[in-house]
Amino acid sequence: MTLSELLGTSFVQHAFYAVTAVALAAGAVGYFVVLRRQAFAAHAVGHVGFAGAAGAVWLGLSPITGLLVFCLGAGLLIGLGGASLEESDAVVGVTLTAALGLGVLFISLYSGYANATYSILFGQILGVTWGDVGLVASLSLGVLIVVSFTYRPLLFVSVDPQTAAARGLSPRSLSLLFMALLAITTVVAIQIVGVLLVFSLLVAPAAAAEVLTSRPLRAVALAMGFAVSSAWLGLFFGVWVGGPVSFWITAFASLSYLVARVVSRTRVVRGRRVLA
Amino acid sequence: MSVILMKDGAVVLGGRTIWKNASFRIEPATITAVLGPNGSGKSTLLNLVLGLIALQEGSLEVLGAAPHRGNRRVGYLAQSRAADAMATMTGRDYVGLGFDGPRFGWGRDKSKSDVVRRALVLTGTASFADQPLRILSGGQRQRVALAHATVFKPELLLLDEPLAALDLAAQAEIVDLINLIRDTTGAAIIVVAHDLNPLASIVDHVLWIARRQVRSGTVDQVVTEEVLSDLYGHPIEIIVTSRGRRVIVGLEEEFAHPHPHPHPKGFVHGGEPAHSHLSEVYEEETT
Repeated sequence: MTLSELLGTSFVQHAFYAVTAVALAAGAVGYFVVLRRQAFAAHAVGHVGFAGAAGAVWLGLSPITGLLVFCLGAGLLIGLGGASLEESDAVVGVTLTAALGLGVLFISLYSGYANATYSILFGQILGVTWGDVGLVASLSLGVLIVVSFTYRPLLFVSVDPQTAAARGLSPRSLSLLFMALLAITTVVAIQIVGVLLVFSLLVAPAAAAEVLTSRPLRAVALAMGFAVSSAWLGLFFGVWVGGPVSFWITAFASLSYLVARVVSRTRVVRGRRVLA
Repeated sequence: MSVILMKDGAVVLGGRTIWKNASFRIEPATITAVLGPNGSGKSTLLNLVLGLIALQEGSLEVLGAAPHRGNRRVGYLAQSRAADAMATMTGRDYVGLGFDGPRFGWGRDKSKSDVVRRALVLTGTASFADQPLRILSGGQRQRVALAHATVFKPELLLLDEPLAALDLAAQAEIVDLINLIRDTTGAAIIVVAHDLNPLASIVDHVLWIARRQVRSGTVDQVVTEEVLSDLYGHPIEIIVTSRGRRVIVGLEEEFAHPHPHPHPKGFVHGGEPAHSHLSEVYEEETT
């Protein structure tokens, strides 16, 4: 098959729609993950999802059901459990460990072959069906709608919870809401890049954006842009050159962060010269 | 009409009486300094006015009504802001959050940029409003925070330790700005502070909180040897320098250990010099 024939196949097209929807949601949510310094929580939610998926497979359910239940549960637990930052780290760590332990148990109980586990860990984007695309796209769209609706209050409680509370917002409820959004985004991102590489869509693009601009709205747009272009390039290279799509997406997302750091470095140096 | 009217107020948090029998009023276009030892309940007073906590006894009126959260007529500058996350955004964005940060939804208010610009001009922050807060000096950042707090031209402005962690020059700048805000907006301003001296030139009233009591009045009424000795329960001396600065002698313990406890919130300690922290801990454990 030629490249254009490959790109025209239904499985590549399904993948294209799915990665686009997921990358947009992950970029937007990722900005808040980076802003709120909650990368560890994001990491934990993904790994907890692994236990959920393994459990679902063992019970003969679809992995995404287990992912949703476990990720949402972990998100709410982390959101409820940690009032202060130090406390929150401990809650995240314990939740993470407990869930990983369960995951090990579920895998040992499940006697079937390990393909399902493998795709949860590393993603299986080229295997998604129309049904999967519909689910992933509607979850991503839902996340985007809620994030845009709560954008200002979420930003306010993220940067200045004390003042936001005085102005009538509830940092606690918004933090819970955000953990729920993070959990759903993690679930859909796992469909594409898997548990282990979920950061490539969730954190790397947003971190790159935060390095490049101090305007929040611009940073969200940039994060979404980086995530989508990494996802598209990753999919394209996966089909064209071969190799796992999740590897390529991770490579491009990491590259965007590296480039952002270099660009901001040269900007600072130039800025200093102007000042001097 | 008074901006704040407190009658026989008492606050109890976690079973402990923070202070009681507090009666005072605060008038428009005045500046009131709230002084007292750490943990004596200064920020608690602000939380009451903000409607975040309620009085156990007595009554409190803020701008003619019961205090309620999210009142736009009350501006607030918190003591410690999450500097890390905040520092990545520009001053203009942070002030913008003062305008519509609490609002959900997709709509944009067209008056936002004008209102924000006015607040930036009033506080003299327009020239660096498009820099990330991270690269500003402490004084510049505090000016931006004041722009945030005054974006709606509040009738009451609550400032929690606005001079903390600033060098003397920056302190003087912020004091001038507080005075300017009072003069141009006519707001009643309450400033929680550790030290009266930097504020002395602009302060009209003092609320001094210690040992569960609140004394209020003009500087000359409250900052006297009689009132403070009575308030602290041991002799306090006040030396007035040739430039009119008041040096208060007898609070050495309080100033020698400005942060004796890592969690001072809700923890009452009297601040008596002869009173060792051991006995306070003992008191805490037995209650």
